[in-house]
Amino acid sequence: MIMREMLRKYAVMDKPSLRFIKLLTYYSSMKGDSFDINEKLDELPVELRLRAVDRLKIERLKRRGRKSLLFRLLLIVALIGPGILVMIADNDAGGIITYAQTGSIFGIGFFIPLMFLMVPVAYFVQEMTVRLAAVTRRGHAEMIWKRYGSFWGAFSLIDLVIANTLTMITEFIGITFGMSIFGIPSLYAVIIGITFVGIIMLTLRYHRWERVSLIIAFFNMIFIPIVLFARPDWSMVANTFLSWNVPGGLSAIFIYVLIANVGTTIAPWMLFFQQSSEVDKGIIPSDIRSGKRDTFMGACIMGAVAISIIILTGTLVFGAQRVGTPASYDIAFILQTIASKVGMLPVKLFALGMIDAGTIAAIALTASTSWAVGEAFGWPKSINLPFAEGRKFYIPGLVSMLIAALIVLVPNAPLGFLNLTVQVIASIFMPAALLFLLLLVNDKAIMGKYVNKKWENAVTVGIMLMLIVMSTLYGISVVMPKLI
Amino acid sequence: MLDKDEYRFIKNDEDWKRFLKKEKIKDYSSMKVRRAKMKGWAQFAFILLRIYIIIMLAIVILGFLHLI
Repeated sequence: MIMREMLRKYAVMDKPSLRFIKLLTYYSSMKGDSFDINEKLDELPVELRLRAVDRLKIERLKRRGRKSLLFRLLLIVALIGPGILVMIADNDAGGIITYAQTGSIFGIGFFIPLMFLMVPVAYFVQEMTVRLAAVTRRGHAEMIWKRYGSFWGAFSLIDLVIANTLTMITEFIGITFGMSIFGIPSLYAVIIGITFVGIIMLTLRYHRWERVSLIIAFFNMIFIPIVLFARPDWSMVANTFLSWNVPGGLSAIFIYVLIANVGTTIAPWMLFFQQSSEVDKGIIPSDIRSGKRDTFMGACIMGAVAISIIILTGTLVFGAQRVGTPASYDIAFILQTIASKVGMLPVKLFALGMIDAGTIAAIALTASTSWAVGEAFGWPKSINLPFAEGRKFYIPGLVSMLIAALIVLVPNAPLGFLNLTVQVIASIFMPAALLFLLLLVNDKAIMGKYVNKKWENAVTVGIMLMLIVMSTLYGISVVMPKLI
Repeated sequence: MLDKDEYRFIKNDEDWKRFLKKEKIKDYSSMKVRRAKMKGWAQFAFILLRIYIIIMLAIVILGFLHLI
């Protein structure tokens, strides 16, 4: 009303006073007539502009969500991301094979309740990275480097980069194996894999990268409906929770499979990946709740996929061979057995799942390497950067992916040996990674009121000790199988 | 390009500055992080960690020598 009146007066004025023009400018800015949000966004550097756009969209959904259920749901969808991605990427090609072998060797008895218990374990560990990211707004590698010095920073970085590159080999093995079911030769499978992951990393900025990755991750749930082909006895599945016992007593192979399953649930790269990803998403302390929800949803999906695979092979493959060792139940044998009992369709779906698991893990590992190297050396470190500006950021991840892909193609490459090396490196690295996590999240100087509560520390220390013992035994069992 | 009508909640420069500040867009990584001084249980944990790493590396080297 005031504005309209002023404009009417301005139109008939010969010489408007300076005070009048100032007042007019003030009112017009208050009305929003001269304010252009796109102009303001253009004033920001590209990396900040993209983050600001993402945050504006979330703010808009928050405001609309107060009145509408639809917008509240859209807000939840907008806020999911790193938690689900990290958990599903953890169900990688190696993880899928481990679960399939577990069901084949031990049936459904012991490991379904165990995987159910691993859901809160994974959640408790990963949730801490959400708080760290929101409060420090820095990645895990950067925090270790700055808080505990260059020795531990370099130790973590070297371990992480080697482990990521070697783990990526297992992802490409999964991709090539899955594609071989559809008659695609290894060379083409690797080229398709590299191209796909490279395009996603280089052409998509954070928000789209996250959304596309989530869609790919969503297909990891393909393992859940496959279980219906096995027509499991659901009362027996439910009964495993009531009569939880160790099948055949504590044998060496049981301990080996137990350690493999626990080790598969939490890996050091997950801590680095989620914290960096949350930072690139632009999380702040007010987002901690949604970050926790995201992580919890991811942990539930991870558990559901693992349990489904164990039920599938526990129903169809368990007891198919007299000698129950991982070596006697390789993935080719498992899929042959499934095909002989329920046909090729579930096998093809399983193969698709393997390709998807390898792909989503390769995407996560590539990003994890790039973030960690960027954080350690103070280079640009955001997927929001175009390649020209963020060359230093993208190259380490892409190079590690190329090395892994090329190794898979080398004839007679010692893939088994490399796979063992991954597990050993992870087992050495795990206690250090967990210790840094616990120290950082209890550091009042940086975390303030977001430090761990006493009960959280008690739970986390318990989980840490369990993981340290398991991963240590796993590492030792890999290099000295006769010792355990 | 954002639709101005959808973002009416930012009406002027003041709102824009408030938004940037609240979301920490410009000063996202402004928190100062200094080297921590190790004391008490943390110092002890680091000593244990070094011992653990040395032992594990020794086991790994021995194990791999056997494998090769």
